[in-house]
Amino acid sequence: MRLPKGLIVATVLLFAVVTQITLFGQIRIIAPDLVMLVVILLALTRIRPEFVLGTAFLSGLVVDLLGSSLLGLRAIVFATVAYIALRTKERAEIGRFAVALWVGILTLIGVVLLVLIGTLFGQTSLLGPNVARLILMVPLANLLLGGLLGPVFVRVVDGDTTAFRFS
Amino acid sequence: MVNREPRGHTLPLLVTLIILGVLLMTFDVRLQGGGVVGVLRTGTQTIIAPVQQAASYAVNPVADMIDSLSNLSNLREENIALRRELAEREASLVGVQDQLARLEQFEQLYGMEAAGDEIGRTVANVIGRPDAFDAALIIDKGTSDGLVVGQPVVDTNGYVVGTVRSVTRGSATIVPITADRQALTVMVGDQIGSLLSQVGLDVMRLEILTAREPVLVGDEVLTSAVSASFPAGLPVGVVIEDAAPSIDVLSTKVDLFVNPDTLRLVVVLTWPPDPITASSGETILPAETSTTTTTTEGDGS
Repeated sequence: MRLPKGLIVATVLLFAVVTQITLFGQIRIIAPDLVMLVVILLALTRIRPEFVLGTAFLSGLVVDLLGSSLLGLRAIVFATVAYIALRTKERAEIGRFAVALWVGILTLIGVVLLVLIGTLFGQTSLLGPNVARLILMVPLANLLLGGLLGPVFVRVVDGDTTAFRFS
Repeated sequence: MVNREPRGHTLPLLVTLIILGVLLMTFDVRLQGGGVVGVLRTGTQTIIAPVQQAASYAVNPVADMIDSLSNLSNLREENIALRRELAEREASLVGVQDQLARLEQFEQLYGMEAAGDEIGRTVANVIGRPDAFDAALIIDKGTSDGLVVGQPVVDTNGYVVGTVRSVTRGSATIVPITADRQALTVMVGDQIGSLLSQVGLDVMRLEILTAREPVLVGDEVLTSAVSASFPAGLPVGVVIEDAAPSIDVLSTKVDLFVNPDTLRLVVVLTWPPDPITASSGETILPAETSTTTTTTEGDGS
């Protein structure tokens, strides 16, 4: 029996949100942004682009609602990153290394946007003492996870065992 | 290579979502986290809280192990320092116990009762943080433990951490003073000033607008009785730069006693003691606080 894609995506996103705020909320030396990673990887699947954008926006809203920053900040950032991901996904379809690099660059764009838009709206707390380290660490962690989990994620969501098998 | 295929409705949808996001941010700024936004925030946190608490039971040992491995050398040094501190504290404890016994004797002698200035304390475990860029802490105590929005939070040593921003039945979100946009009213000696967070720095800026005398390195910064958010006399940090008043204004840097990133256990103070007073934003002086002390022990690591 094949599970509906919506259910798989919702489950993966819930897992990402919970893991982000519990596990990676306590281990500060490893700092991926799992929700942003899932949003980026969704662009590689055969899910309709409109659904990907909507999911990215809603995921951002949920993360905003769970935190203390402005409601809508991450929603805008995740939607923008998802749009760029949809427009550039061909670059990632070359191989596992390309997927990782593509995820890393998109995450870098995402965190820079987050800091820029947040600062414009007076969220000075985003520019904490570790901001420079985080701007580098988060994309790096997502790059590694994207390379490792990206192809598997696409296969699970699309239900296609042949997808993203690079020779 | 950028995808040149027909984009369908994605660009108009993105523009719509960005406009919606900006509107939401504007609403949030205007409502200052309250109103509909506050209800949404509380609702989402209420839904996620049980899953989060269940996950934290499984995750905490893993997080502790990774943290310990990464800080092994620091832990050894910290252990030696803590042993030394423990010996000193045990010595002073004997003296305090003696003084307490004498105090009790005098109280009985003169028929005195406690002044009733104890503040309720709720110990809570830090069970998560929203993401790497959000300094807020999520704790495992909520309205069912008597927590309300605005209550002050300290660490286990009594050093100021921040305030409760939002609260659900079983969890609450704490915003540290380093991430708060509002200044904290503090005192250094007998001078009252404001403590403000600084962009990109972990030290805070102290500004005294009616400065009469200089502040020196090592001067302790405490919460002021003027503060509406904190009881008076809680330790916040220490001055790290000498500063003299220029006309009657003084500005210097303050190193905080608490690093919110390393906290695993916090204490929420019942301040003001009456939740109705707390929600109305009224200020109560320390002497008027409740005599009830409700301490809930956490099973923190």
